[in-house]
Amino acid sequence: MKQAGGAFLAGATSRLLPPSIPFRFFGAAVAFHLLAWIALFAGAEGAPRFAGGLGWPLAALHLVTLGVLAMTAIGASLQLLPVATRRSVGSARWPAAIWWLYTPGVAALALGMGTGAPMLLAGGAAATVVALAAYAGLLARTLAGARGMPVVVAHGWAALASLVAVLITAASLAGMYVGVPGLGRGTALTLHIACAAFGFMGMLALGLSYILVPMFALSAAPDERRAFASAALAVIALLLAGAASFGIAPRLTGLGAIGAGAAAVALHVRLMTIALRTGMRRHLGRSFTLVKIGWVLLAASLVAALGIALEAPVDGLPTLFGLLLIGGWLLTFLLGILQRIVPFLGSMHAARGRRLPPTPSALTAERPLTIHFACHLAALMLLAMAVVADSPWVMRSAAVTGAAGATAFAAFFLSVLRRMRRADARDATHAAPVA
Amino acid sequence: MTPSSADARGDGAGSALLGKRWVETDGVHIDVRGLDPPGPLVAILQLVESIADRTPVFVHHDRDPKMLFPELAERGWSAAPLDAPPGEVRWKLERVE
Repeated sequence: MKQAGGAFLAGATSRLLPPSIPFRFFGAAVAFHLLAWIALFAGAEGAPRFAGGLGWPLAALHLVTLGVLAMTAIGASLQLLPVATRRSVGSARWPAAIWWLYTPGVAALALGMGTGAPMLLAGGAAATVVALAAYAGLLARTLAGARGMPVVVAHGWAALASLVAVLITAASLAGMYVGVPGLGRGTALTLHIACAAFGFMGMLALGLSYILVPMFALSAAPDERRAFASAALAVIALLLAGAASFGIAPRLTGLGAIGAGAAAVALHVRLMTIALRTGMRRHLGRSFTLVKIGWVLLAASLVAALGIALEAPVDGLPTLFGLLLIGGWLLTFLLGILQRIVPFLGSMHAARGRRLPPTPSALTAERPLTIHFACHLAALMLLAMAVVADSPWVMRSAAVTGAAGATAFAAFFLSVLRRMRRADARDATHAAPVA
Repeated sequence: MTPSSADARGDGAGSALLGKRWVETDGVHIDVRGLDPPGPLVAILQLVESIADRTPVFVHHDRDPKMLFPELAERGWSAAPLDAPPGEVRWKLERVE
């Protein structure tokens, strides 16, 4: 008995969430990206030596981590993991509900941090934690039913475990501002940074790279054993970092974490480099220049971490470490991937029911991306200079430059949406009956 | 119709990476079932790029090759679903002038 292709596709297509779901997460990330630079401008006075505490630098940091990085990771993982693992997310209502809770939650949290309003902060934190817990449930369900891509799934589980630790430490840190006791601040903060940046975001970025980099380079999937070895080393690094944050032989476990993390990164980057070198598509343009810069700055963040562990006499080293980790590695990498994935997904969704969908290149506006590329890299350099020179004025210059880049990136994102709509309208016109 | 050729490389090792290819009177067929992403994508695009004329390609897959469509569009190829046995998806790919 034969089955119509369309009937099978009805099931297969249901694994793919409607475009409004990933695009709303990406759109919010684009908006928070601009807001983060504006918050940094507002908090430029204290940013060069920022080491925690309420204020606009903390708000800017969380606008990037929660607003841009986690927001994009949620949208991308909800879209890509079901395709890769052949396990549906289920109803689109849950991802939509998560967005409606998470987006205002992050906005309230950042506003509470920036203005020093503990109740606003606590309310925003509560909404954010509940939304991320719901996302963790969806992620766990998808991973538990996964068929295939075990490397990506392993990274997903590590990211999920890290997310649980992030939520516990976040609740503990936010609770301090409203008088609710929890973990000690030092332990909670160190664990929060390690699990959020290297654990949740880092493992998702490394794991999704095993889908995205070969897909864009058009290469074979990376060697599975080596990829598992990289994942195992990364998990060991996270466990050692956790032990260090609880004060268990902190110097030894801290150095061990950095060593294991460096080995994991070296192996991962080696696999990615092989994929890029052997792929059918050799010229990946500016987007992958950003991705490669992200990998270099990930390695640099581990060097900075080593400097902190060895108590190197460098002023502003903890701030520089945070800059390399969040702005240098995660943000640069993610913006590189995002500028490729948005038009690709736009074309993929537009392909449904069309003989010839708009191509990713036809959906991509190059000029805003050129401006963003220059501004983003210039802003990173200015940020580093501001930290080293302890200069609020250089920090303000970095914020203005970064905001210009974020505006250009927003223009790129809006142009993709506009071009998708134009293609829809053109098809509707062609399909209309002629009188 | 009898398959007239084996896999792309002509050896067993090639089929694991590139899928199984054969030629029938209606066009070139490729079976990418069982390959993890992005294996099917790469295998199909390698075949498509090796075809200089208007010979159609028939894809035998175990899932909807969603990530293929943007790449096909970039190369000026279109895809149309065909009837298939349960558990299989078939697509006909054609160059569009």
